[in-house]
Amino acid sequence: MKTAQAGTLESMDCIVTVTEAEKGRGISIVMEGASVARFGEAMVKATKDTLKSLGVRDIFVSIQDNGAGDLVLKARVEAAVRRLAGGKAA
Amino acid sequence: MRLRRTKLYLPGNNPNMLLRGHLFNPDGVILDLEDAVAVSEKDAARILVRDVLRRGDFGSCEVTVRINAMDTEFWRTDIETVVPCGIDGIRIPKVENPKDIALMDEALSQIESKAKIRVGKTLIFCLLETALGIWRAYDIAKASRRVAAICPGGEDLRADLKTTRSPNSEELIGPRRMVVLAAHAAGVDALDTVFADITDDAGLRRESEWVKQLGYQGKSVIHPNQIPIIHDVFTPTAKEIEQAKKIVEAAAEAAARGLGAVQVDGKMVDKPVVKRAEFTLQRAGLKAGGEK
Repeated sequence: MKTAQAGTLESMDCIVTVTEAEKGRGISIVMEGASVARFGEAMVKATKDTLKSLGVRDIFVSIQDNGAGDLVLKARVEAAVRRLAGGKAA
Repeated sequence: MRLRRTKLYLPGNNPNMLLRGHLFNPDGVILDLEDAVAVSEKDAARILVRDVLRRGDFGSCEVTVRINAMDTEFWRTDIETVVPCGIDGIRIPKVENPKDIALMDEALSQIESKAKIRVGKTLIFCLLETALGIWRAYDIAKASRRVAAICPGGEDLRADLKTTRSPNSEELIGPRRMVVLAAHAAGVDALDTVFADITDDAGLRRESEWVKQLGYQGKSVIHPNQIPIIHDVFTPTAKEIEQAKKIVEAAAEAAARGLGAVQVDGKMVDKPVVKRAEFTLQRAGLKAGGEK
């Protein structure tokens, strides 16, 4: 399975790791980090919104969070997905 | 006149600095896609910088992005990504050739036009980091109406000059003088390079006072702690402002009465003195006008 990663564990950042999934498997998201208990729902939504905008339907996403807000999380998800696709990230 | 006393570099792949850098109240921020970002992270940094720019929360800072040099594979994607966000300008590293600025002008116009941004909005700040760049400073500054400032390099320039850093940066005296002369001849700002030792406040103040005396409008900054020191140096004192007001008012009165020169506090005031007083008021934010 192909995997790609973006981000760091610096303050206000996160590491997003994405792994290819078979067609029809849908989106799976696992998260860890201090903010997950409070903002987990919003983080899932931000991740799913980004994946949708990129046309991704089947993928495994792992997020190690260190206080990244929506903006940073979305940017890291996009970078990881583009790296997985092997194309230019922007 | 746009105040450019301090321009704070923010590493392009560092969310903390990108999101909070403007809170230190520099006159401008430089979101850096070049040296602060490893080659393997250029793609991720570009996305992050784009999204931070789209959020657009930078207070009153002038927002510029340092793109990668024009001899790299990155610069076109850099400008295609950040210019549609409506930034104030781009900072181009290692400029040596006026033709590159003309090429950049054209590329920016195309992007602005496509993004429905006023063509010409995006200013250009040129970093002159080689002997050749310094030598061609005037032609580079005149290569496009977008050029707002030229800036001498620091470490890269020292390397190109085959020298090293000395305590008082004697090796950069000549280049700094050439850049300030070229900038004023071309009608653009001269902005100085960074002061690298972030623990030497006295050295920073000394260098800032010196470049101000040469005719520079400000400095690039690599640490927020440097901002208040540089602002202090580049901001006119209350006494200077008061004197400048007196001179400008007296000159206006003399002009209204059809007189060429006038006395202020027993001293003759002629055109250059009035011009200098106007510049002091511009620097204090009390008078409009000046360079772009």
